[in-house]
Amino acid sequence: MNRRLRNFLLNYGFYLVMALVVLYFAANSRNFLAIDNLFRLANTAAPSIIIASGLALVVMTGKLDISVGSIAFVSCTVGLLLILRQGVPIPLGLLIILLTGALLGAVNGFIVVVLKVNPLITTIGTMIALRGVAFQLTEMRAFSIPEPLRVATNARLGPITIDIVVALLAVLAVWYLHTRTPFGRQVNALGNGEEVAARLGVRVGRVTFLTFVLSGLMAALGGMFLMFQVDSINSQLGEGYEFTAIAIIVIGGISLFGGQGSILGLIPGALMLTIIQAGLNFIGASPFAYPFVRGGIIFIAMYADSLKSFVRQRGRFAEEEGDEGIRLTSP
Amino acid sequence: MSQPFLQMRNIRKRFGAVEALKGVTLEAHAGEALALIGANGAGKSTLMNVLGGVYAPDEGDILLGGQTARLHSPLEAERSGIAFVHQEMAMLPTMSVADNLFISHFPTQMGRIKRTEVLDACRAALQRLGCTFDPRVRVGDLSPGDQQMVEIARAIMTDPKIIIFDEPTSSLTSREKQRLFDVIGALKRAGTVIIYISHFLDEAFALCERAVVLRNGETVGGGMMGDLTYARVVELMIGAQNASADREQQTRQPGAVALQVEGLRREGVLRDLRFSLHKGEVVGLWGLLGSGRSELLRSLVGLDPIDGGMLRIAVNGELRALPPGEARRWMGIVTENRRDDGLLLPMPVKTNMSIANLPELIGRIYPFVDGRREASVSQTYVERLKIKIADLRQPVRTLSGGNQQKVIVGRWLQKAPLVYLMDEPTRGLDVGAKAEIRAIISELAEAGAALLVVSSDIDEIMSISDRYLVLNRGRLVAEFPRGASKNELMAAAAGVGT
Ligand SMILES: Nc1ncnc2c1ncn2[C@@H]1O[C@H](COP(=O)(O)OP(=O)(O)OP(=O)(O)O)[C@@H](O)[C@H]1O
Ligand SMILES: [Mg+2]
Repeated sequence: MNRRLRNFLLNYGFYLVMALVVLYFAANSRNFLAIDNLFRLANTAAPSIIIASGLALVVMTGKLDISVGSIAFVSCTVGLLLILRQGVPIPLGLLIILLTGALLGAVNGFIVVVLKVNPLITTIGTMIALRGVAFQLTEMRAFSIPEPLRVATNARLGPITIDIVVALLAVLAVWYLHTRTPFGRQVNALGNGEEVAARLGVRVGRVTFLTFVLSGLMAALGGMFLMFQVDSINSQLGEGYEFTAIAIIVIGGISLFGGQGSILGLIPGALMLTIIQAGLNFIGASPFAYPFVRGGIIFIAMYADSLKSFVRQRGRFAEEEGDEGIRLTSP
Repeated sequence: MSQPFLQMRNIRKRFGAVEALKGVTLEAHAGEALALIGANGAGKSTLMNVLGGVYAPDEGDILLGGQTARLHSPLEAERSGIAFVHQEMAMLPTMSVADNLFISHFPTQMGRIKRTEVLDACRAALQRLGCTFDPRVRVGDLSPGDQQMVEIARAIMTDPKIIIFDEPTSSLTSREKQRLFDVIGALKRAGTVIIYISHFLDEAFALCERAVVLRNGETVGGGMMGDLTYARVVELMIGAQNASADREQQTRQPGAVALQVEGLRREGVLRDLRFSLHKGEVVGLWGLLGSGRSELLRSLVGLDPIDGGMLRIAVNGELRALPPGEARRWMGIVTENRRDDGLLLPMPVKTNMSIANLPELIGRIYPFVDGRREASVSQTYVERLKIKIADLRQPVRTLSGGNQQKVIVGRWLQKAPLVYLMDEPTRGLDVGAKAEIRAIISELAEAGAALLVVSSDIDEIMSISDRYLVLNRGRLVAEFPRGASKNELMAAAAGVGT
């Protein structure tokens, strides 16, 4: 029946497309499906997955955090400069990176919750301002990470890198938080409408604040792995990652309207994005085509999202019809 | 006599210029149901929002069991044993029934939700209400009646000492309603205080021991239900000028065809419908919940997609095919669900009323709306419908439930289309306002409009219709003239004899 087909396509169409894309690239290039290559792709995707996992919580409440890329940059800068210049021990320096991320997230949360500024505007503001702060700190120069750290973070078990492991753990942890704890459920509740959530006894301000803190924390963690991957920081670190993360979230089936989707969707979402990018590269497409293709994918994913919620809304049929009784005023 | 468990003393609440509560006093006893009665905008919901911790009162005390209570948030109210079934449902549609029931107080073990415990508790609560659906289903996939049951389940499952029901029955079937009444009976026996708000006075008389009547934010009377009569309550509610009795129904002579529908269908919902509406005629569309009556109205104006069918509309006395995109030029629809697809909640009353009529309101400079005319036209309908507002610029969200409904009706009166489609036009209205809407429906028909009206209230539909169409499972199964009996209508809707 065509309705069933439509529902099937809406729910699984994404995986179908993904399979087709992989097949297409595999058919057009040798080695694309080689295990090595796949793990390389996963490794590349790891930092953005980590960043997306925190940001996804903000998205689930129906808001956006555009500042994640800048938070990644500033946090790494602060931590690395402390290690390089003040002789702070490496583990402590890394911890400081994470704490700085959480703190900057808290600043976003404060502006949104207490000062009641629109979250998009708030985080566009902090995105611009924080990048400026990091430029100030680095004076636009690049810094290499210390040798022991470089060695340690390049450790790998066969094709499996630390980045991949941490990204998986991050996704699992956030997924657990989202589905198994009261906080996670309340995040979803906010995505259904803050007024309603408040009436149901959810502490809207507190939950919102925490999602921004977590988003900042995960941004810093993701940024840390970006730094490990290039063994240094430079003024481009984290730039554009807010949009990569949002793309992963949307492609992964998390609704920008809030309240819908699963954190686990981030993994196929990220793989899809990376595979297409790498695939274009593999078949020798012009690098200028990447942004265009990526924009196209994001658009399609968002269109599918709004289509899905439209079908959901109007898709209830009078199937359990009949014997339901009649409403009467005088019984 | 025992001391009242709940005392609200001299409660005042002001919203800007509007004084919603002007020193209301209310007492309720354990094991009794108190009916809170009043016209639209009298302050019932506001008073209960104060009790439920949603609004802080400007003045006044609330005593529970003789002690002053602190109710500064819904959470505090819940902890003090107060549960609230809201007039406008508070639902998380993308989440499961279990999430909806436990969102503010999940039981946890080391931070993790105790899932089995949650599901068991949900099943038990749903069972008390006689509901059969699984607590893991998405609330958005349930029927409005079942959603209302979820809301009620949430209230009863905390074993509260006070339960507030603000118009709980407006989306329930009679069977669901009966189940609710049984539960209320059991709660009373267990010593719970029930506060019951409804515009169906017969429900209040059947369920409640005591009544308090509010008018314009003041307590104007009350007492034991046994000492009150229906007429006395209405008099207290609306004041001495008395409810305008229904006008004697004249038989109208329907005119030419206004709208002709042929082969309208939508898979699984509407099956090959053909009928026509005449000018100067009120057609009552009757059927069970889920028979497709709302869907039919929505499909006619293109709010729902259709799979096939042909509409013809009379333009200058000639029937002309009506392309789907143009339907709204000729037809006005009062939807069943005012919050989701009728009103622009944060927008002013004025805008909400003029929105369908903007082309008519353009002033001398072309695309600009003449603000003064917009206001004066809207004002006439505010007065005509006795909509209780402080200011035309007031956001619709801040109106009382019944007054929001009137705004939608006012929108279409202002536009004056050829065909009116009305889905439960009197939902949430007080007795006086209901009579008013019925009078307006007659008037519109006499002025030559064609009306198709859905109502779940069989007495209401029988008092206004010139003709009936009966739907059953998306099919038109019968048509009756004005004189049809209640039994005939009921039988046809239930599918007997077809
Ligand atoms: N947030 C608000 N801001 C401004 N005015 C408000 C607000 N909430 C309520 N009011 C006003 O207070 C008055 C009482 O409203 P309330 O909702 O308590 O009425 P009600 O008795 O529940 O009516 P109904 O039967 O229509 O539901 C109305 O005039 C309404 O416009
Ligand atoms: Mg009300």
